[in-house]
Amino acid sequence: MTRLKRNVRLVFIMFCGLFLSLLGYLTYFQVHERQKLIESSYNRRLWEQEESIMRGTIYDSKGRVLAKTVEESGGKKRVYQGGEAFGPVIGYSTRKLGRAGLEQALNGELLGVSQQDPMMILRQKVLGISRGNDVYLTIDSELQNKAYQLFRGRRGALVALEPNTGAVLALVSSPGYDPNFIEQKWESLYKNESSPLLNRAVQGLYPPGSTFKIVTLAAALESIPDIEFKTYETPGYVEVNGRVIRDYEGFRPGDYDIKRAFSLSSNSVFVKVGLEVGKERLFEKAVDFGFNEGVSFELPVAISRFPRFSLVGDDVELGEASIGQGKILATPFQMAMVASAVASGGRIMKPYIVKEVVTPLGEVKNISPPSVLKEAIDAITANKIKEYMVDVVENGTGQQARIKGVKVAGKTGSAENPHGRPHAWFVGFAPADSPKIAVAVVVENAGSGGANAAPIAREVMWQYLKGLQ
Amino acid sequence: MESREEAIYNKSLAAMALVGFLSFLLLSIYRKPVDFLPFYGALAFLTVVFIGYFFTGWVIANSDKFLLLISSFLAQLGLIMLCRINLELFKRQVMFFGVGVAFFILVSFFTKYLLKLKIAPFFYWGATVVLLILPLLFGVEKGGAKNWLVFGGFTFQPSELAKVTFAFYLAGALKNGRITSFPRMIAEILAVVGLLTLSKDLGGAMLFYFTALIVIFVATSRIDLFAVGGGLFAALGVLGYNLFDHVKVRIEAWLNPWQDVPGRGYQIAQSLFAIAEGGYFGTGLGLGRPDFIPAVATDFIFSAFAEEFGFLGAAAVVLMYFLLVYRGIRIALRLRENFEILLAVGHTVMFGMQIFTIIGGVIKLIPMTGVTLPFMSYGGSSLVMSFASLGVLNGLWQRALEDEDDDEA
Repeated sequence: MTRLKRNVRLVFIMFCGLFLSLLGYLTYFQVHERQKLIESSYNRRLWEQEESIMRGTIYDSKGRVLAKTVEESGGKKRVYQGGEAFGPVIGYSTRKLGRAGLEQALNGELLGVSQQDPMMILRQKVLGISRGNDVYLTIDSELQNKAYQLFRGRRGALVALEPNTGAVLALVSSPGYDPNFIEQKWESLYKNESSPLLNRAVQGLYPPGSTFKIVTLAAALESIPDIEFKTYETPGYVEVNGRVIRDYEGFRPGDYDIKRAFSLSSNSVFVKVGLEVGKERLFEKAVDFGFNEGVSFELPVAISRFPRFSLVGDDVELGEASIGQGKILATPFQMAMVASAVASGGRIMKPYIVKEVVTPLGEVKNISPPSVLKEAIDAITANKIKEYMVDVVENGTGQQARIKGVKVAGKTGSAENPHGRPHAWFVGFAPADSPKIAVAVVVENAGSGGANAAPIAREVMWQYLKGLQ
Repeated sequence: MESREEAIYNKSLAAMALVGFLSFLLLSIYRKPVDFLPFYGALAFLTVVFIGYFFTGWVIANSDKFLLLISSFLAQLGLIMLCRINLELFKRQVMFFGVGVAFFILVSFFTKYLLKLKIAPFFYWGATVVLLILPLLFGVEKGGAKNWLVFGGFTFQPSELAKVTFAFYLAGALKNGRITSFPRMIAEILAVVGLLTLSKDLGGAMLFYFTALIVIFVATSRIDLFAVGGGLFAALGVLGYNLFDHVKVRIEAWLNPWQDVPGRGYQIAQSLFAIAEGGYFGTGLGLGRPDFIPAVATDFIFSAFAEEFGFLGAAAVVLMYFLLVYRGIRIALRLRENFEILLAVGHTVMFGMQIFTIIGGVIKLIPMTGVTLPFMSYGGSSLVMSFASLGVLNGLWQRALEDEDDDEA
């Protein structure tokens, strides 16, 4: 074979490679890029389809209508029946303003453009069906409304999860808005200082304050062997590199074991514990609970941040972080995941809000079956923390969360912040022995968590447990 | 043996006719009000195919029939899409197809005489340069590139013909297996590529450049030259990115079209939406939205096809183009003379690279450059010259068979 012909063969091999890469990329495109593009809001096909398709209905977990499309003279209209409590969750879908909330996140399902089974598409084409899919949420609208009312218009958020499955039971952001009037009221909603358009439950980043002591406690229980038998003497404050961190007013100086310090939420003791645990292990534990990692959820969730410490003054930063202050920030959604992890023996179930999707032909699709997101702590540690959290509610700062006849576990927080009074926090779950609901509550600038957030959590947990019986 | 091959060809022809009948009948019924023009157009098209097919067999004893079969089938798929897009373009394209097939037969027939003439490579180079200069002087701009000439009612794109003359030039200049004068060769090739860049036909410039590199490699076995050439291309690319806005826009649209969908990413985004909509099985003929895709009749016809025929259809088209490239390589491997081998390689590479460039471009594998998809895109110059190119290959195939006959005799 001449060299010339050898080279011709090489050219042929090159072409094999080039054409294979075309086929390979086309395949990759179909598998990975396709769905995203079909649902892209830039896709004109989607707008066209919307004109001809009846957008699906959104129901709550009990089958009550939250949003539906009705035919009117002169076209279709989207009607929202969930009220203000559902505004930030459901969002809106209008030509003028685009889409937000679940209306955006579930757009593909609601329009029925995301089914991939070609036989189903064919059947719908043949039968002339031009309806999107209906979506059933995991949220119970009675619980959601009740929770929303408990905020009485104050700024704040509440997230309730079912610990064993990750189902979202309530997702409240206050103040909310009524999506029915979104176009008329856009200007005032947009400019409103309380930012009702912001979904605080998933997008609000707050210092978690003392509720973060759950994470510090977990790290301490796992890394300091005799921690449960140690006592800490405290004068009511602690000094770290010249910086004084105080306990709250009314905290009595003296000797405390870690359980009592947790119940009464001692800052001075937990700063010491945090320093003992060390920055690496505390950082790792925070990551185990989901900090600094995104969680894929139907709605976009802001990433909660636990700082990587700088080299200078890191003891101060570490001390502050151990009690949930300083540069640490968490969403209410994240703190609900922390509570849920303790409740379910250390596992965090992946949160989901869509119970099922029903196609116009009656087929039921389960688009987010329960799955384990991560293992935050082992079961033994989880049980100890649970016991401590029960003590918080029975004998400590969280007594306002007590429910008669039900063992409640919880942790309060009063997070210092530059905007005024502390943010009131409460995270917890009930019943402690077989948890059915885990909640995280934050009320902005309301003062102490025990007095302002714990009662809201109690009412919500009670309402839910009552409904189960 | 002969009859078995014949049977395969005939079956392919029948399958193609069946696809044509069904598709165009469907398209006729879809039109509101029902209009049988597409169907008559298809009849005219298929008549040309049959006449062309049998006429080739009659005039030329040993023709590579697959060349005409596959190219006609691709042209038919292109026509199906054009019929969806614009009936006027469809009618003209059927006409161009007729001219193209005539060219295929003529060129197939006359190539052997052309080979005997032994025209100096410099002449082919001169012809290439003249063809590329003409539109710069007298041409009009269309779709951002100034490479069109207008005669009366007809427009003509000389760069399509230049592809053929350029392949002749390369084969002639390199037939001794080495580069006689290095500086001269570089100057000649850069002149051609430079002219294309001047007329803002970046895709064309890239095509000519890489064809030259590959043919030089085949002739000289110098992989180092190929590497240096590739490096130079990358350097020029970076330079172009920083100097020329239209280069920058294309590269940015490739890297992230989603940053600016209404603006620079518009074309490629619409193309990708179409392909995504198609999925594996396609929306079905007549059910897609080619009207959403810009430049759909020319550069983006593959996207429109992929929308209605799906991944499976698109993959089949890619494979058919691959078969054509394979046929070209096969012909090159059967030839004896260096000049002829290089000529076959030159045409095949030019053709194959063009397909890779445009399909890769519309699916966002590589940056989009506006070249046509041979046989499928609308455009007389492209269609006729692609057929002429195949005609040259077919002519070379007969040379190969003649040589083998001589051996046996």
